[in-house]
Amino acid sequence: MNRRAAIRNMALIMGSAVVLPSCLHDDKGKAVVELKHLKIDADQEKLVNSLTETILPKTDTPGAAELGINLFVFKMLDDCTSKEQQADFITGLGGFADEAKKQMGKSFADGTDKERTAFVTQMEQHSKDKNYKDNAKSMAFYQMVKGQTIFGYTTSKFFMTKQVVYELVPGRYNAMYPAKKAMA
Amino acid sequence: MSNNTYDAIVIGSGISGGWAAKELTEKGLKTIMLERGKNIEHIKDYVNANKGPWEFEHRGGRTQKMIEDYPVLKRDYPLNETNLDYWTNEKESPYTEIKRFDWFRGYHMGGRSLMWGRQSYRWHDTDFEANLKDGIGTDWPIRYKDLAPWYSHAEKFAGISGNRDGVPILPDGDFMPPMDMNIVEKDVQKRFKDFYKDARHFIIGRTANITVPHNNRTNCQYRNKCWLGCPFGAYFSTQSATLPAAMATGNLTVRPWSIVTKILYDKDTKKAKGVEVLDAETNKTYEFYAKIVFVNASALNSAWVLMNSATDVWEGGLGSSSGELGHNVMDHHLGVGAGGRIEGFEDKYTFGRRANGIYIPRYRNLNGEKRDYIRGFGYQGGGSREGWSRDIAELNIGGSFKDALSEPGSWNFGMGGFGETLPYHENRAYLDKTKKDKWGLPILAIDAECKDNERKMRIDMMNDAKEMLENAGVKDVNTYTSEPVLGRGIHEMGTARMGRDPKSSVLNEWNQVWDAKNVFVTDGAAMASAACQNPSLTYMALTARAADYAVKELKKGNI
Repeated sequence: MNRRAAIRNMALIMGSAVVLPSCLHDDKGKAVVELKHLKIDADQEKLVNSLTETILPKTDTPGAAELGINLFVFKMLDDCTSKEQQADFITGLGGFADEAKKQMGKSFADGTDKERTAFVTQMEQHSKDKNYKDNAKSMAFYQMVKGQTIFGYTTSKFFMTKQVVYELVPGRYNAMYPAKKAMA
Repeated sequence: MSNNTYDAIVIGSGISGGWAAKELTEKGLKTIMLERGKNIEHIKDYVNANKGPWEFEHRGGRTQKMIEDYPVLKRDYPLNETNLDYWTNEKESPYTEIKRFDWFRGYHMGGRSLMWGRQSYRWHDTDFEANLKDGIGTDWPIRYKDLAPWYSHAEKFAGISGNRDGVPILPDGDFMPPMDMNIVEKDVQKRFKDFYKDARHFIIGRTANITVPHNNRTNCQYRNKCWLGCPFGAYFSTQSATLPAAMATGNLTVRPWSIVTKILYDKDTKKAKGVEVLDAETNKTYEFYAKIVFVNASALNSAWVLMNSATDVWEGGLGSSSGELGHNVMDHHLGVGAGGRIEGFEDKYTFGRRANGIYIPRYRNLNGEKRDYIRGFGYQGGGSREGWSRDIAELNIGGSFKDALSEPGSWNFGMGGFGETLPYHENRAYLDKTKKDKWGLPILAIDAECKDNERKMRIDMMNDAKEMLENAGVKDVNTYTSEPVLGRGIHEMGTARMGRDPKSSVLNEWNQVWDAKNVFVTDGAAMASAACQNPSLTYMALTARAADYAVKELKKGNI
């Protein structure tokens, strides 16, 4: 894919906020998202999709899924991380899936909002506990996804045009702008 | 053959090459400007300049492929997807690092004038006298008074915004109105002044971004996208400023894809008669002839062209008789400074993106002070408010966390030092004949490093930064430093230095090669010392001054 087309496609993904329903997955469990380097199956894709939505859920403003942040996370992992990081991602993803299943009694993606939030909140608590080292790999996976989710969200068109004031051509520099206005 | 004959040839189209072309054509010389890379047309070819951050596939980040393709560029901020096309293809144009040297190049029309940092400061007599006083390198053959009118000339045309601060070490210039400091910078400035009085100064950066309309260019729109090329022509570049002026004379021819392989030297007249060009697209060789040759290929590549020329007369190339050609590689050392948090001002934010910051001019080793190193450093920095709140300990995920991401975070203030490097003879670049580039040309080997003086200076650069920020009321100040690496400042200088004596310098007081008086070198190569100010304004002034002299000499029949 040439660069121009890639950017156009990405803009479409980000702009139109289309999330393909799971029925589009084929029978072989192949992931829908097109990746060049990272090899993931449909279950793994679903887990990452639901994890990004758990981190940034839909409220009265769009969540990660609606904004296509999950696709951005995959794009960044696919293009911008090394083979070693990708291997760690897959290993960590497996660990995360196992731990979630053990705790929730079902796959992470099949959990309710509440169950997923509880599980991820626990991950967050572990991440702050220096003595907790049981899940280093799944923690690394989680941090990778969270980092890219936040990056994707805070640089998305929605965020930069609706949540904060971003003008392509400000035309002036106001050194004492009221904070409330900037955060309209 | 006559179509290949001009009055003047300019090698390179960056900041100094563009200036040479403008000055020479405005004085009536039929001039050809040779650019080794592709053409980039003003506005039309700034393909990413009008994109929102979300329109970049990786939001401006770097892919694994980019990291593999650009092993040098990846070492610092320049490698990113927004202006990748402006940086030199490292596979096609390799160089040998005897010691690590970060060489960030731009092989295209306009050169690094499209990506430069735009900070523009005059030098002071302290800088021009330093080598003589310290007994280091070669004495500058000029003083501030020789360059002052040319600084004015350069500032008036380029458009430099700045405040007339009256700082003795940093002469005021012919400025456009300054950009504003934000509220936090004003607060820091006030405390800074209360503490340091007139011993140290905290000023708004002087930058080549115009703040009022100028020569058909629109004033700065506060987009902070300068490195993409400005559709408003608001920052100085070859494309926005010198090229249109030169084209308007009707005297300029521009030839992209033209790698100058050597200057053609005539033993009988002891002058250059022209240059040999390798067409980068067709691999065909051409010759161009002229009465004057301006070498503006950037410090290291200007040395490369000279080293590759007249080798039948001087083994080391044109200008090598002094033994200094390619030597005395300098840069500014950086990557050391401090930053912290500012309390208060929660109800204030900034609107617009100012592509400028604050500047603290040199204060060390002045007025009789003697540190355990010589020369000095300045700082660039600024206050900014984080885009979103990061200190939300209890909120890690979920809807409230999402909302918190759009709340403004804390105000921070940071600054980093730019230190002078000394001219060391053993810091050098030379032709590595064992390796060739894509076009079969010998490549450069660079063997240069920071030494004791720079390392000692860096201790002050770090500790002073912390001390000044704390004295100015900044909280939780953290310092940083790094292994000093030459090249990283992207201010390469010194490889064909000016001087008073042909035995110890490559160029005379008018930037003429001692060994060929119709060859002028007016880019960073000409610098006899580095000072600590950003150097491009000085290249502009030196170029305009040399061009004026060259045309006068030509008219007198002296060259």
